Amino acid sequence: MMDEQIRIEERGSTHVYRQIKMLSEEELVLRESRCVYEQPAYCVAACPLKLDAKAFMDAAAKDQFDKALQLYEKIAPFPAILAAGCEAPCEHKCKLCELGEGIAVRDVEQAVVRYGKRPTVKGFLRMKKKQTVVLFGSGLLILFLTGELVKKNYPVTVVSEEPDLEQWLRAAVEKAGIPEDAVQHDLALLKKMDLTLRGAELPDAQQIRAAAEEFNAVCVSPALTAGLFPEAAPDQALMYDRDLHIVTGSGESEGGVLAAAEAAKRAALSVDRIVQKLDPSNMRGTEGTSETRLYTNTEKVQPSDRLPHDMADGYSREQAVREAQRCIQCHCDECIKGCAYLQHYKKYPRILTREIYNNVGVIMGDHMMNKPINACSLCGQCTVTCPNGYDMAEICHRARQNMVSTDKMALAPHEFALLDMLFSNREAFLSRTQPGYESCKYVFFPGCQAGAVAPETVRAAWTDLSSRLEGGVALMLGCCGAICDWAGRYELYDTVKEFIDRELEKLGGGTAPVVIAGCPTCMKELKGHEGLEVKGIWDVLLEIGLPEGGQGLDRPVAVHDACGARGDHAAQEAIRTIAGKLGMEITETEYSGDRSPCCGYGGLTAYANKEVAHEMTELCLSRSDAPYITYCMACRDRFAREGRQSRHILELVYGTDAGAPPDISEKRYNRMRLKNDLLKEVWNEEVYEVGPDFDIHYTPEALQLMDQRMILKSDVIDVLKYARESGEAILDQESGLYIARARIGNATFWVKYTQENENTYLVRSAYSHRMNIVTR
Amino acid sequence: MEEKNYYTIDPEGKLTCMKCGIPLVKGKAKFMYLDNGFPVELPVCPQCGFVYVPEELALGKVASVERALEDK
Ligand code: SF4
Ligand code: SF4
Ligand code: SF4
Ligand SMILES: [Zn+2]
Repeated sequence: MMDEQIRIEERGSTHVYRQIKMLSEEELVLRESRCVYEQPAYCVAACPLKLDAKAFMDAAAKDQFDKALQLYEKIAPFPAILAAGCEAPCEHKCKLCELGEGIAVRDVEQAVVRYGKRPTVKGFLRMKKKQTVVLFGSGLLILFLTGELVKKNYPVTVVSEEPDLEQWLRAAVEKAGIPEDAVQHDLALLKKMDLTLRGAELPDAQQIRAAAEEFNAVCVSPALTAGLFPEAAPDQALMYDRDLHIVTGSGESEGGVLAAAEAAKRAALSVDRIVQKLDPSNMRGTEGTSETRLYTNTEKVQPSDRLPHDMADGYSREQAVREAQRCIQCHCDECIKGCAYLQHYKKYPRILTREIYNNVGVIMGDHMMNKPINACSLCGQCTVTCPNGYDMAEICHRARQNMVSTDKMALAPHEFALLDMLFSNREAFLSRTQPGYESCKYVFFPGCQAGAVAPETVRAAWTDLSSRLEGGVALMLGCCGAICDWAGRYELYDTVKEFIDRELEKLGGGTAPVVIAGCPTCMKELKGHEGLEVKGIWDVLLEIGLPEGGQGLDRPVAVHDACGARGDHAAQEAIRTIAGKLGMEITETEYSGDRSPCCGYGGLTAYANKEVAHEMTELCLSRSDAPYITYCMACRDRFAREGRQSRHILELVYGTDAGAPPDISEKRYNRMRLKNDLLKEVWNEEVYEVGPDFDIHYTPEALQLMDQRMILKSDVIDVLKYARESGEAILDQESGLYIARARIGNATFWVKYTQENENTYLVRSAYSHRMNIVTR
Repeated sequence: MEEKNYYTIDPEGKLTCMKCGIPLVKGKAKFMYLDNGFPVELPVCPQCGFVYVPEELALGKVASVERALEDK
């Protein structure tokens, strides 16, 4: 039995201002970088103008063309010309190309430009900038650059040989083969732009040189530069000639429409720097196309082709909507799809990690992320489902340990479970060699939940093992320590570990016997003990053969893999083999094997956050309508609690049925009963059970409330015992109920009852609070 | 200076202390949790000092203050 001295202490104060970093900044960044959730969609990364094509398609798919147009005009001052002339590299990078044809981005853009409306109400009159810019010449680059600079609110002057805006625009698009309606469309926009054209003026070199005195930035078309300044060698990335101090390009930047549009963006950024008298290479951020590390699962996407046009000049509005609806809005949510916890908090691991990291760093004040930290079931599913193996469990587990170490972690969410662990390893603990053996070759370790949920099954399994295995099979009823591990109470975990090791050595006569674990989580935890050989009971049963009398269910079943068995393919396989031998037909679900979600018990979610735990159970059950076969008793219990037929594989092997799920008091009772019955019947040890010397009955409502509020019958008994000894109780005349209370551990428990006679109580309600109340 | 009370309940003579056989009265009490104190006025036995925390108070206000302090 575990040391009585060990207490589960409440932290003394909220005013302890300690902090230990949970990860170094580099370690944090390394972890965060694994999550590609925020990476741009393929089309977005491929666009040198940085059109948010994903958001654009989303708006178009919803027939929100005005919104789509707004997005498009953000990157295109002359949208019709761009949409008509863009080479659309995004279309080749579209994820759908891997399946069929990529989205016809450009055709949708054209439709959006044609049918979308710009907001009619004028926004605020925007303040013009003080710095002025002059542009010499014509051509696509100068046209687009003019548009960019007008948008940036520079007072813009254009000097060109064309007499008017229309001629100037037509000269620019002359070679690009832009259809007339697009030209007309953008000409209308151009005419509304606030700019000055000095037409019919052929700029010469001297005039351009002198312009610097009048204007803050001087831009020259590549054609003019080539003609007037043959020595010019502008930097193509900056669109700037350092010697001439002019923004310009070489002839090549007049390539296609897209190249010119991109060059214009670079040039506009250089103008921004130049007017501030900064070096144009300064602080430019990311320009042009980018790489993306995004992952998008297309397994469930049906391949499809582009919608054909039926009009000569492109999609109708309806067609564009339909084409946009083919867009799958590329994103990664592999982890979220399988995890109710991530769904609950609506956050992807990268952001969750950052927020948890910050939470741990809060020295004084509110820790807003404590709930999420304690709601993760530490199940490891995300590490399997994430294409990059993101390990959210590690983050939450570390955060818990860290906050325990700095006295920042509240005890309340985990106290019940920790006390339950102590109960398993004290009152309910049993460690005995098989009768007739001084020491044993094996020890059966069924796990605390097995005794709590299905004591008869534990007994049957041990009886079977001990009768068929050579060398003696000891029995150890207790908790492996997973509970303290999950709670982040690492010191307590070490204590439990040492305790179990010591007890195991006694059973093996100096060295620990081979452990036969009945629970995958125990198995995993015990495997972490140095020098311990641990097997699953499922493996042993396959080695020695199933006992007589096992009976499977006569309906197809779904196997729910335990999170404790993640990565343990042998165990997963063994369970299916056993189920097969019992004559069961198994239907596999999408999230089975290593991808299995947690039932809600893992990581103490069931204690710390009942709501999330419930959602986890629901998600598990939503995978199949079939009865669930489990090999972890906690899973069995949670599924049965939600009303699903669920059986532990050992119940079927041994023909036992644990029946309806027990409440929290029954779970304790079951463990005590199992221990005491075995002591009496197997080891002939008389057990003196001292119950209270009075009778207590409960109304069904009281029992339900107690289960909800995590109040044990033993708590109620303690309160009534105290009331009997001290005489302290009150009577509420209105309800006619007596009310008594006692401080037990870190909480005050209250019981409302009526009394039939001196020794018979009927409990009507019970509640508790952790705050201590004193008079003043 | 008048100390602020976070909560006040007057038993109005409807509660009796079984030990002392007298009605509880509105009295000064204090909730303590994790080194933080909250003065309140609750039904108290004027003789033995039994302080009554009603179910609604325990599950409502008290619980929410507890949660808030636990996250400090
Ligand atoms: S699966 Fe989740 S953790 Fe992994 S990259 Fe995608 S969003 Fe991020
Ligand atoms: S499917 Fe949509 S979001 Fe994905 S790459 Fe293609 S256009 Fe972009
Ligand atoms: S509950 Fe499991 S799958 Fe979800 S974040 Fe935590 S460890 Fe990952
Ligand atoms: Zn009294």
